[in-house]
Amino acid sequence: MTDRLKVDKALKLIAKLSIDKSSQVLSKMIKSGARIDLENVCVVDITEATEKVIGQSDQEVVGAFIDLVGDAPFKFLFYVNVADSLVLTDLILKREIGMTKIFDVYAQSAVQEMGNILSSAISNVFSSDFQISMAPTPPTVINDYASTVFTEYIMSVAVDKNEILIIESVFNIVATNIGCRMFILPVGESEKILSYVASTM
Amino acid sequence: MAKRIIVTDDAPIIRLMLRDILTYNGYEVIKECNNGQEAVEAFTELKPDLMTLDIVMPEKDGIQALEEILTDDDSAKIVMVTAVDQREALMKAIRIGATDYIVKPFENDRVLSAVRKALCED
Repeated sequence: MTDRLKVDKALKLIAKLSIDKSSQVLSKMIKSGARIDLENVCVVDITEATEKVIGQSDQEVVGAFIDLVGDAPFKFLFYVNVADSLVLTDLILKREIGMTKIFDVYAQSAVQEMGNILSSAISNVFSSDFQISMAPTPPTVINDYASTVFTEYIMSVAVDKNEILIIESVFNIVATNIGCRMFILPVGESEKILSYVASTM
Repeated sequence: MAKRIIVTDDAPIIRLMLRDILTYNGYEVIKECNNGQEAVEAFTELKPDLMTLDIVMPEKDGIQALEEILTDDDSAKIVMVTAVDQREALMKAIRIGATDYIVKPFENDRVLSAVRKALCED
């Protein structure tokens, strides 16, 4: 098996475990069923990544960037469109949906906190299931078009890579029709560590 | 007289949730802090009965703030707040002298239980 296939195998396993953990945490947080599906694990040319991942359906979103630092560093992105971030705010605050009417500091921090909690769930999977020590850094929140947010996300690794390996998940929150997306992107020497993890499975 | 509490978290929505839970249950939230540096300064100035302290924050994290506060006042009651099972950081906080901890996402009852225990109200 080539190194790339080994990394893909490890990433798919980590993604599945992360998604299971994230689903539990998200459901607990919003007191509603949440289903997270692994949408895509793919290697793409960095110059084509935004078009392939975001496609034509560009929309204004609010996203949280988080660096997972430690033995196998990753970059994490969670985003939701602005209108849905208002619903997410009501869900987190356990209020009637529709009470949050404008995108304000609380809506922004709802996304920030979702990113924080989901990335912590993922770092927990790394440490508990694979003994890879990881910790999230404070989130940075950005409000812009999805293509701009995603391009900024992948450009942070463009310095040393022509191709990037992306794990994409799509969330559906039951009864609200909210769609969110989450990405994790290995950086630095992480692919070598994942290759090692795969060889031990 | 209501017990005086300072809430520290870089996410306004978490501060709002904690403020709502605490004030509804008879506590007085005397200040909200956005990071560890603000928390250390507020503790020194206001000497609250209890402080909640998020772990992952910009500028100065909760662990650094905890160490500085306890160096200044070893009887300080500090409840750490952290996301999903950051066990290493939590263990460190407990070793340093944090009174208790709450894991996000939290239930109202868990917040109150930690606060009451820290304030010896159980």
